[in-house]
Amino acid sequence: MLTALATLLSHYRRHPGQLAMLLLGLWVASALWSSVQAINASARDSYARAEALFSTGLDRLERRDGEPLTRDDFLRLRRAGLPVSPLLEGELETPDGTRLTVIGIDPLTLPGDSPFAGGTGDFLTPPWQTRLAPDTLPALAVTARDAPGAEPRLPDGRRLPPLTLAPSLPPDTLVMDIAAAAALLDSGATLTRLVSAADALAEAPEGLVLTRATTLVAPGQLTESFHLNLTAMALLALVVGLFIVQAALGLALEQRLGMLRTLRALGVPGRRLVGLLLLELVLLGLAGALAGIVSGVWLARALLPDVAATLDSLYGAGVTAELQLPWHYWLGGLAVTLGGLLLAGSGVLWRAARLSVLGLGQAQAWRTGFHRQLRLMAAAGTACALLGLALWAWLARQPPGEGLLAGFGLMAMLLLACALWLPPLLALGLAGLARLARRWPLVQWALADLQLQLPRLALAMMALLIALSANLGVSSMVGGFRLTFLDWLDQRLVADLYLRPPAERYDEIHDWLADRPEVEELLATRRTDATLLDAGTDATRPLNLPVGLYGITPGERLVPSWPLLSTLAGREAAWQAFRGGAAFINEQLAIATGLAPGDRLTLDARGRRETVSLAAIYPDYGNPRGEVLLATPRLAERFRAPPGSLGIVLHGDADEATLRTALGDRLGPDRESLLDQREVKRVSTEIFERTFTITRALNTLTLGVAALALFASLLAQARERRRQLAPLWALGVPRARLVVSQLVQVGGAALATGLLAVPLGIAVTAGLVAVINVAAFGWRLPLQLFPGEILLTLATAVAVALLATVLPAMALWRTPPRALLAEEETP
Amino acid sequence: MTRLAMLGLLAALVLMGCERDAATDTGLAEPGEAAGGFVQARPGTTLRFPEDHGPHPDTRIEWWYLTANLEDERGEPLGLQWTLFRQALVSPAERPRPGPWVADQAWMAHMAVSRGPTHRVAERFARGHSRQDDGQAGVRARPFAAWLDDWRLESRVDDPDADTFAELALLAHQDDEHGGFGYRLDLTAEGPLVLHGEAGFSQKTADGQGSIYYSQPFWRIEGEVTLDGETRAVSGRGWLDREWSSQVLEPEQSGWDWVALHLDSGHKLMAYRLRGGGEEGGDFLFGNVIAPDGAATPVAQGGLRLTPLSTSLVAGREMPTRWRLELPAQGLDLVVEARHSERWMATSVSYWEGEVTVSDHDGGEALGVGYLEMTGY
Repeated sequence: MLTALATLLSHYRRHPGQLAMLLLGLWVASALWSSVQAINASARDSYARAEALFSTGLDRLERRDGEPLTRDDFLRLRRAGLPVSPLLEGELETPDGTRLTVIGIDPLTLPGDSPFAGGTGDFLTPPWQTRLAPDTLPALAVTARDAPGAEPRLPDGRRLPPLTLAPSLPPDTLVMDIAAAAALLDSGATLTRLVSAADALAEAPEGLVLTRATTLVAPGQLTESFHLNLTAMALLALVVGLFIVQAALGLALEQRLGMLRTLRALGVPGRRLVGLLLLELVLLGLAGALAGIVSGVWLARALLPDVAATLDSLYGAGVTAELQLPWHYWLGGLAVTLGGLLLAGSGVLWRAARLSVLGLGQAQAWRTGFHRQLRLMAAAGTACALLGLALWAWLARQPPGEGLLAGFGLMAMLLLACALWLPPLLALGLAGLARLARRWPLVQWALADLQLQLPRLALAMMALLIALSANLGVSSMVGGFRLTFLDWLDQRLVADLYLRPPAERYDEIHDWLADRPEVEELLATRRTDATLLDAGTDATRPLNLPVGLYGITPGERLVPSWPLLSTLAGREAAWQAFRGGAAFINEQLAIATGLAPGDRLTLDARGRRETVSLAAIYPDYGNPRGEVLLATPRLAERFRAPPGSLGIVLHGDADEATLRTALGDRLGPDRESLLDQREVKRVSTEIFERTFTITRALNTLTLGVAALALFASLLAQARERRRQLAPLWALGVPRARLVVSQLVQVGGAALATGLLAVPLGIAVTAGLVAVINVAAFGWRLPLQLFPGEILLTLATAVAVALLATVLPAMALWRTPPRALLAEEETP
Repeated sequence: MTRLAMLGLLAALVLMGCERDAATDTGLAEPGEAAGGFVQARPGTTLRFPEDHGPHPDTRIEWWYLTANLEDERGEPLGLQWTLFRQALVSPAERPRPGPWVADQAWMAHMAVSRGPTHRVAERFARGHSRQDDGQAGVRARPFAAWLDDWRLESRVDDPDADTFAELALLAHQDDEHGGFGYRLDLTAEGPLVLHGEAGFSQKTADGQGSIYYSQPFWRIEGEVTLDGETRAVSGRGWLDREWSSQVLEPEQSGWDWVALHLDSGHKLMAYRLRGGGEEGGDFLFGNVIAPDGAATPVAQGGLRLTPLSTSLVAGREMPTRWRLELPAQGLDLVVEARHSERWMATSVSYWEGEVTVSDHDGGEALGVGYLEMTGY
């Protein structure tokens, strides 16, 4: 049995290229899949830790007027018998510039089921304790071994209380006693908020706003769609990788048919032969999967900081930049790779099991088999297309924003259908061309030869098609999004300077600015949390959705440029209604609730209830929440929302520098809150670019995998090709023509693949823009196409194919004719 | 003297997870005010009132502990407990400077109302600094006030020259899923303060360690009690214990049994049994027989016997809920029996505390009521 296995494996000693291709396919597929799974696992771990921390399980109390709470408020409420606990939250900068969240708690009053209730003597008294997760240590330049008891120094020379590791804490978060936090943050007797056990308070005490824990969205919910996106990309890479694997396996079996028959003839039972092939698959699979998982983890480590930054800026979800991998991650990665490999190899095993001992390994016979295979592929492709069609019909009847999974399913079916149709289409095209080329024997030969090559090229071409169209689809979507987003930023950021004055100085700064000659108008904003109670034409449909209430000043400069997606009776009328107290809502909220201009909304914020009419819907890219827009004065008066930032619009000829200096002097230490428009745009654009870093990276990697697949399949059959070319050379065809015909053959096939990839890519873009983005983010983007991207796709296809042909062609060029003939004689 | 067990248990709670060995800085080796250590309870300490009604932050632990045997208008008996515990978080030498949130003391309050099979319990915590008296919890000697949140025991005496401790008001309420429970009571002292042991020094172990312990056992109580949302007018008798110490239970001391009894004769009777810690590893017993005029007769080891008669299964434990208390010199042979066995205090430090009836061991006639506390089971 061992001898038989050794015999089977000896094939790879003679054809190391095939072994390399097999392992490469497995390795790449498993690496991309593992890296995305590692990223997802780490992120989910971070969410779980964030949710386990008290902040999401507790109701919050803040002051209605936006001023900070103090210890006196806490004592007053406790003496009134209310079970509230003080919480202090702030940021500290570490010597390496990382910003860490400091949370100060009072464990003696913190509601019972939170992990800190009860506390300990050392936690409560000097020098106190800093509790932190091990993945926060690098920001403090402390190693895990030195961590317990270490007192890292901060940039201002002060030291943190001695460290105590608490792995269940969220990343970049330091939890300590409120007395220690108050000292570090210089916050005196002020508090960030009061918290209480969920539903412990029946109503908000006078002057305070109560936010129920149930209305605070957990990060895991928001980010689920983002992770689904990543998983879909990883699945794509896995499929492309498995295409390579299947191509390589098919080739290896093809070339070993003779060997298998010999083994059968020598008495190895058919069942044992299949078992041996299976064993070979598992061995290869283990090697490929392990290599893939190791490099996947490495890749994830490289990508994770970008993903963490993206999730933070997009959803405000804190994700550790260090990998946190549970044990099932490793098993899962291995299982998926092996499962995929067995799926890809099942065809090979099937064929080996039905191997006829007496059959002859003829290319012609194989071709007949291929014809049947082509018919099967066309049928399977049609089935995929029909399934896709059914999904599409189902999706069309869903409310917008639903069916993220179905959307991915639809796109997967589309890609698979096209990939399956590709070989029959190519075969059909070749047959047609061959009929046309009857007059030119060499062309006819080249076409027939390509037909013969097709079975081996088909899988690589299919992988290339999928990768190319996914690449085109994703880059068009990102490109289109980028243009829309930048445009939208320009429309929204109309003021020259933005300022967030401290609440206690707001009126003073506002009045001072209003009197400055440089200032044309002030665009005041306010924000508060609200609940959208009911909505609909008569505001009776109960929704109970947490939303943001955002107040803007409908000023001269802002109104003309603020983008609106749909209105009841035109922009002019919408703004007129807005000034009169009507509301706008963002696209996310409109999609989630199905509200349209003309409907009425009942809002509850800060204990006040108000019904307003809906005048328009506006785009709001990058915002994870539903938002209701009202005029600032109305928000201040009806809901008593605290003052927010001020947009300062300057006269055309005003001297910005003078105003900045004067304002800086006026603000004193608060001048850090002054930003100019360019800065705001730069930060927003940076966030945007980071959002798609991971998408681009995975996309490029997938295309790279497909290119490798094509490259590898061409290389693997190079030797055999030379043997087939030898008779032509012997018949007097010059080598230059042979090489050119080679390049044209493969380049042509790749170009045909690329051409099919273009409409498919556009369909993918449309799917991403119309289904996936709407469901994942709540924004619908205009479909934009970039001819440059399309040309690049075609060029990539041809370039990859040519590159993969050039190497064997070079060898052909250099091989002495005698050697070619000799190869022909020795099969 | 009562709840020495509580002392150890509370210390265990507050120092939970803390590696610092509580016994090392109690000054066992150096009695008295060891450098940086806590002040130790010592014989010969002269108590001064009203100052000593206030906190003693230089000692490790202290409590204000009220129990009451009451009846409602229909004559149905009920019991209640209200306790404020203070635990020093650091020794006086390590005490941090006061700041808005800086703490050197932890406070814990328990309240309970019991009637028939119903037993409602609540517990709250607070931080405090010994140099601030405006905190979430605290005690002030004059005019007397002891509070944690809205739970409050305070003086009703307005005249600054009168005894601030003669008339108190107790107010506490806890919302719960049964409709809430609590009380609003007026307490009037009908007798003097009683110092236990040697003029207030109560020995706890055979080797002479102890605490400062005095009581006000003569409270007449009127007011109203709410149980499961239903409020009833009540009246009856109460017993308030004051105790502070820097000792913790020694390793061989496993727990505590304590009774405080109001006899129908007008006498009051306190007795405790510290399991372990006596001569040759035996129990350490102590008692005090208080005449209606407040004259106290301490009864030392050997002068009394406290013997379990039968047990009940409570919270998974066999608890002795029927006792025999014998004081031969006083001619007393009593049976002390819990009104109901379900009086488990499922608080962070759990123990048994509930009302008892007192009857004659031989004749069986009813002789009074009181409270029983059992810890360390």
